[in-house]
Amino acid sequence: MEEVITTGTDEAAVAAAEAVAESEERVAEAAPQKKKHHVNQQKLWDNIWGWLFCLPLIIGTCWFIYSTLIMAFLLSFTNFRVGGQVSMWECLGHLGDYIYGKRQGATDAFHWYKLLFTENVTGMDRTTLINMGIQLNEMGAFLFNTVFYMIGIPIGMILSVFFAVCMSRDIKGGNVFRVLYYLPCVASAISIVYTFKIMFGSTGVMNQLLGLGNFHWISEGVEGAYTWQNLTGAEPSANAFMMDPYWCQGFFMKLVIVIMSVWKGLGGTIILYVAGLSGVNAATKEAAQIDGANGWIIFWKVTMPDLYPTIFYNIVTSVIGGMQIYAEPEMFMNSAYSGGNVMVSGYVALIYKYGINMKYASRGAAYGMFLAVIIFVLTLFQFWLDSRKKD
Amino acid sequence: MGGKNMENENKNRILPAETAATDEAKNYSSFRYAVGAILAFFGFSSKTHRASKKRAKLVADIFTYIVLLFGAFVMVYPFWWMIAGSFAYTINGTGGSSLLESMVWWPSSDTLHIPSGDTTKAELFFNYRTLFTSAFESSGLNVSYWRSLFNNLLYSVVPVVIGVITSASAAFSFAKINWIGRNVVFFMLLAAIMVPGPSLMITQYVMYSDMGWTQNALVLIIPGMFGSIMTAFFIRQFLFGLPTSIIEAAKIDGAGYLRIFCQFILPLAMPAIMAQGLLSFMGCWNNYMGSFIYLSQNSEWINLPHAMYILNASPSSNLGVVIASSVMCVLPVIILFGCFQKLIIGSLMLTGSKE
Repeated sequence: MEEVITTGTDEAAVAAAEAVAESEERVAEAAPQKKKHHVNQQKLWDNIWGWLFCLPLIIGTCWFIYSTLIMAFLLSFTNFRVGGQVSMWECLGHLGDYIYGKRQGATDAFHWYKLLFTENVTGMDRTTLINMGIQLNEMGAFLFNTVFYMIGIPIGMILSVFFAVCMSRDIKGGNVFRVLYYLPCVASAISIVYTFKIMFGSTGVMNQLLGLGNFHWISEGVEGAYTWQNLTGAEPSANAFMMDPYWCQGFFMKLVIVIMSVWKGLGGTIILYVAGLSGVNAATKEAAQIDGANGWIIFWKVTMPDLYPTIFYNIVTSVIGGMQIYAEPEMFMNSAYSGGNVMVSGYVALIYKYGINMKYASRGAAYGMFLAVIIFVLTLFQFWLDSRKKD
Repeated sequence: MGGKNMENENKNRILPAETAATDEAKNYSSFRYAVGAILAFFGFSSKTHRASKKRAKLVADIFTYIVLLFGAFVMVYPFWWMIAGSFAYTINGTGGSSLLESMVWWPSSDTLHIPSGDTTKAELFFNYRTLFTSAFESSGLNVSYWRSLFNNLLYSVVPVVIGVITSASAAFSFAKINWIGRNVVFFMLLAAIMVPGPSLMITQYVMYSDMGWTQNALVLIIPGMFGSIMTAFFIRQFLFGLPTSIIEAAKIDGAGYLRIFCQFILPLAMPAIMAQGLLSFMGCWNNYMGSFIYLSQNSEWINLPHAMYILNASPSSNLGVVIASSVMCVLPVIILFGCFQKLIIGSLMLTGSKE
């Protein structure tokens, strides 16, 4: 009975297949050229529409990113000033003539790059130390501020993993917490800065809460007003750290900015980690539990390896973003238009100061190129560490 | 302490059943249970924890709530402070600002503005009235509050709406159309993300100035209309999840790619497009750098954060008004986020799990 049916169906299938093949053959015989033509046309349309849909983004990227990158690279070897006699296009068109120092007969293409390493901090911020005969490299000082803000990255990472683990527990209202923690991320940086600036004022909420009395976290006083005794009203001290405004006052001002950026960035990373934690393999976890692993071991041996890609992505993006910190310190110190403050401003402030404020576009471009190189090297270094870990 | 009290209450209720169920359960003091549960939360197994897992979970839950509530308080308190501070009446000079500084929950009664004539009622919205009428003009700005708000809306609606559509079209072409050079272009765009913005700041500034865009609003509108690479990548990730058979079916029915994009892809990818659009709207709304770099201080096209910076830096600035303007800058995005929080957080979670 069964065999009959199968043979029956087989026969039917074979007949159907034959019919299909026949009809295909007939179609192919009838219009072989048309079919081939049709396929080619489809491919052509694919190509045309593919490029067309992508065109705005490609044009935007080439115009606003790649062309300006190449121009900035070439410009960094020249001596071009905004508002000078020649335009940037003229300068780039006759690059050979406008290389730095060519007009004076002493060609020095890397002038701005050399200046980056040799220029010392000037201005009223450093009056005290300059009187003491100590010179501070400008790039070093601004780069130090930038790197100092990066201590917020590990702090934020530990805190956000902790909160993410709390939120992914099986509790009610986890969603509400996620929304509340994300609020600072959507808020405008300038509003947050002004709020924190007053909260960290000498009689502000923070000092009342921590019982610090009249401590000046942030001080916009006149020169020399930044030492420890001015902060706390304590007796003058012989300690170099406490006497030096750059290290002493700068430390506390930078600390406030670190606290603020950790507070502001926490929500976003928490959401990333919560998403990463929900992808952690529950079966592996249970197997480990049955094998007698306690929560601590499960966290380190099961959860963390699964969470590692998220953490790595997060560290890479925060280091790239951290190197570009600019607006927050300037808003804190109201120093945006005066070209930065040596105690708090990040490296980008130098680019703005020389390139736009002082109109030495070539100098700004050279400083910008150096920043791009730093970021590129840092990113490569992290990927190298990552590849070593996998081996 | 809270956890301990709860534990005491629950002890009498749960303990008999627990003792019956597990033979190794012993009567430890509730304090030891709490310590054991907190240790268990961090992964250290202890005797009490093993003795009563249910109890431990309860205490750990309470501990989690305490931690999360404390964190939520820290996250929300500055916003509360901002709102309360915006009601304080701070006269020009140091006296008013130190009174504002020392405020913790609510401005003390002597910092509330009392209009002359009616001494019984404090006027809460004094700072807002000043902000809306005269604060910007009197600090040397060429824009009124309403003008800068309009500029801000212009910069964050027009480029975002058009930019998100161009990004979506690029995402569609990357995810669903097979064309020559697709991978090359994709890596070219990927590499462009790595270029740090500040490195391009100078040449972009010179280029836009030469084109005359910095005299008007074009500099903050046109570049955004070409779409954003990150947005395109996120929408592309979303489009990979859509079945290709829809597009095949539409093609067989004779629809062109343009029609497929408008009638199928845009509606189907709407959650992703909306979420990315809202995120870029918030980014543009808070964008201080663009306006600050390209527009001059006395331009009539500066946006709200830039105007706030000048307001705060001006010698005649009034801290109460600065805080009121901060509230007015934060409030729209907070409301928008509140309305679409599910969509936005869902989209962020998606990117988190994809990485």
